[in-house]
Amino acid sequence: MVISLSLLLYIYYAFVAVWLIFSLICAYHLLRFSINNFVGFFTTFIFIAVSILIIFVSNNYINQIDWSLNFSLPGGSFFNF
Amino acid sequence: MNQDYNLPNRLPGEKVIKVLNRHKLILFFRFFMFCALAIIPLGFFLIMMSRGYLNILNDLVYGPVIILSTSGYYLFIWLLFFFLFSDYYLDVCIITNERIIGIMQKGFFSRTISEKMMSCVQDVTSEIKGVIPTLFNYGSIFIQTAGEVERFTLFEVPEAEAVRELVIKIVEEHQSKIEENNKQDNE
Repeated sequence: MVISLSLLLYIYYAFVAVWLIFSLICAYHLLRFSINNFVGFFTTFIFIAVSILIIFVSNNYINQIDWSLNFSLPGGSFFNF
Repeated sequence: MNQDYNLPNRLPGEKVIKVLNRHKLILFFRFFMFCALAIIPLGFFLIMMSRGYLNILNDLVYGPVIILSTSGYYLFIWLLFFFLFSDYYLDVCIITNERIIGIMQKGFFSRTISEKMMSCVQDVTSEIKGVIPTLFNYGSIFIQTAGEVERFTLFEVPEAEAVRELVIKIVEEHQSKIEENNKQDNE
């Protein structure tokens, strides 16, 4: 069974999309309900800054990979009816 | 400085006396857990390097899988720490001269706000249980109010005994004010 390497990338993008939704909800809670506005803004700023750093570093590695390649799963013949 | 806080539905003449978060040690535990989770991939990386398995990163399949899963892992634990911080920071107890307000964030989609008027408070109990709470002086406070079966509970409050004494003092002041007003009305 031959699978495109880009499938892994799409799974990763789906994960990042879910992660982004939860991040927005969490940041919204902190900004909306924070009892001291400065702490809420500062913490959210730190969260966004580190998140951008993680995504930037990840993107550097991701761009070095040729995602158009295919690979076959071990025992792939099992799925070929 | 306490007056700077965004007090929900502030009553006329209401003054914030104390704002309580959970003990800072709880936040430290969460930060420690985050640090421990953050170094796990580095540990794997060092083990792979010491055993000469680092070539696996150049593999057609395992390389991308490792890169994507490491990125996803760090995004996940960073969000987890942000969430745990929000949970710590948004769980607040505000003691004013009129009432006690407990605000609790439970998960992403649940938020509970409860308040008790000082005039309803009947009994205040503090409990410091365990080695770490005893060493770092934090514990739970149970506030029993009139006409309520459930107790109002504050968890992991720093200096629980001092807070209990503070609440009792405010309640006594409140009651003496009510008695004075009643006397004046009778006269």
